[in-house]
Amino acid sequence: MSDEKPQPARTPVRRGSKMRRRLSGLLALGVALVAVGGLYTVFTPEPDQAIAADPAIVREGQQIYDNSCITCHGSNLQGVQGRGPSLVGVGEASVYYQVSTGRMPLAAQGAAAERKPPRYDEAQVDALGAFIQANGGGPVLPEERGEALRGEELGRGGELFRLNCASCHNFTGRGGALSQGKFAPNLDPANESQIYAAMLSGPANMPTFADSQLSPEEKRDIIGYIKSVSSNNTGANPGGNGLGGFGPVPEGIVAFFVGLAALIGISLWIGSRQ
Amino acid sequence: MSTRPADSQSDHADASPRIPSDEELAQMSTDDLVRLGNQIDDIEVVSSRERFPVPGTRAEKRAERQVAGWFILALISGILFLVAFIAWPWEYRSPTEEGAWIYALYTPIIGVTFGLSVFAVGMGVIAYSKKLLPEDLTIQQRHDGRSPEIDRRTAAARLVQTGQQSGLSRRKLIYRSMGAAGGVLGLGVLVAAFGGLVKNPWKEGPDSPLLVTDWRSKHGERVYVRKFNGNARDVVLVRANDLEPGAMETVFPFHADEVRDPAVLEEFLRAGTTGTEVVLPEEELVDPEHVAEGVRSSDSPVMLIRLRPNVAVIKRAGQEDFNYGTLFAYSKICSHMGCPTSLYEDQTNRILCPCHQSQFQANEYAKPVFGPATRPLAQLPIAVDDQGYLYARSDFIEPVGPAFWERNS
Repeated sequence: MSDEKPQPARTPVRRGSKMRRRLSGLLALGVALVAVGGLYTVFTPEPDQAIAADPAIVREGQQIYDNSCITCHGSNLQGVQGRGPSLVGVGEASVYYQVSTGRMPLAAQGAAAERKPPRYDEAQVDALGAFIQANGGGPVLPEERGEALRGEELGRGGELFRLNCASCHNFTGRGGALSQGKFAPNLDPANESQIYAAMLSGPANMPTFADSQLSPEEKRDIIGYIKSVSSNNTGANPGGNGLGGFGPVPEGIVAFFVGLAALIGISLWIGSRQ
Repeated sequence: MSTRPADSQSDHADASPRIPSDEELAQMSTDDLVRLGNQIDDIEVVSSRERFPVPGTRAEKRAERQVAGWFILALISGILFLVAFIAWPWEYRSPTEEGAWIYALYTPIIGVTFGLSVFAVGMGVIAYSKKLLPEDLTIQQRHDGRSPEIDRRTAAARLVQTGQQSGLSRRKLIYRSMGAAGGVLGLGVLVAAFGGLVKNPWKEGPDSPLLVTDWRSKHGERVYVRKFNGNARDVVLVRANDLEPGAMETVFPFHADEVRDPAVLEEFLRAGTTGTEVVLPEEELVDPEHVAEGVRSSDSPVMLIRLRPNVAVIKRAGQEDFNYGTLFAYSKICSHMGCPTSLYEDQTNRILCPCHQSQFQANEYAKPVFGPATRPLAQLPIAVDDQGYLYARSDFIEPVGPAFWERNS
């Protein structure tokens, strides 16, 4: 077929084709680049860890770290022997738990860090978390905060709570004693994110519950259950005062002393004469 | 009363009442009869005063109204109780739902109304006796000590004579057969009451329940490590990398032969390696009810613990290969009294039993370091298959839980 084509017509086509080839080459390169870029953004998985936040926020976090944490945790988060553990790998979740509950900065070395009014506000805690995350990595909290973290399946949450948490925290989250002055805290004052962060990071002597062990949905159901039985919840105590949620011991004591005293008083009054 | 014992004694002797004839009795008024009865029973009415000698005074009316008030209160609260019991919303509402507060009041409402009703009836009766019944002071002499000698002798003689007349001591056949019947009947009652408690725990020899747990492979099938996800019928298996360092998980046995079709199990195991939690479909199980009971079994719960890195480990002689890397599996049943010892502290690596504060060192073959327990927790030998699933290589090599007579370890 090409043999039949007239010779003279070729030259202009060829000249034009040179130009066209260059153009089309450029165009192809552009298209390929756009396609590769597009495909890359489409197929790249969402990173598990939050990408290092705004450098300004990380810098703010570093400032707080240098002021308050560096003495015990070291200049490279490596920890200081006899003072504080390494923070490499603890992640933003651990920072949120420790600082937003006021446990860190620590008041004094002791058996267990106690909850106290937090030194830093929410934004500062986030900045500190971003700094630790950027330098050490580790588990991060979900985006949602507050009631959005409460699961719907309270029954399942209750089962999981009793199996995994109740041995230390009591079956309604009242907390309890551990060995040598350590204790598992009462869960009433903890907000949803703090409970979530505690499960993820396993603060102090609490075991860690990674997402491979308790899925995010299971964690949310547990939080829903804790919130439904916490003593701040009026509906959680049908029948009046929960007496601390400790079960039969305080209930028995109240029944015995208050009830018995009332019965004795009434008997005396019935038998009395004017 | 006690101030004049001599007097009352003499009264009693002197005032021994004359017994009237039947005709005289018929003639006597109610008051006379009561007085006579009091005399016979040694009762003395010291004073008796009407509270309202003049009937119909305002004070009496007021007292009447007060007593009736209690009964009316009982009536009203009784009606309220009935209404609340029938009409109040009693179906469970979870605390986050609409109407949870109204539901929460159900128990207090029916309790208070019913209690008030009973209480007010009692108060009405007491108020009646305190406000309207005559105010009297009555003394009845108490005669304590034993009966007079004559009564005791005669009663004993009567019993002896009855025994002699029955001739039982002479009729040995009746005497013995009756005794045997009574004895056997008594024994029967004892057997019925306590027979159920007598059991032979060693009936099954080396497979006796005290010696083995559910982790034992009965027919050579593989026993996987299973976790509980809140639903007892869901079978979720544990893989070695599910636990982060410093994690603890309570796990239960799952026997491979509880799945009908080995091919289904294969597929299930393969699906689980993708990282997502996979649940075995219930209809593939031989007996879903038995599988559900697996997580309630009292001797098979095991604490799967992954120690933090760089924790120094001491292994017990003969159990050197029971762990898989930093994964250790210990029975959750305390070796002291059998409580669940699940308070795991992941920095001190101690396992604390909440019942009597025994502590076990998780990185030193769970040996007891504090409290009344004297034996380590039994360790389960675990291994990992080629897909990463944990399984038990065998049952525990010693009985779990507290000691018993026949135990020699």
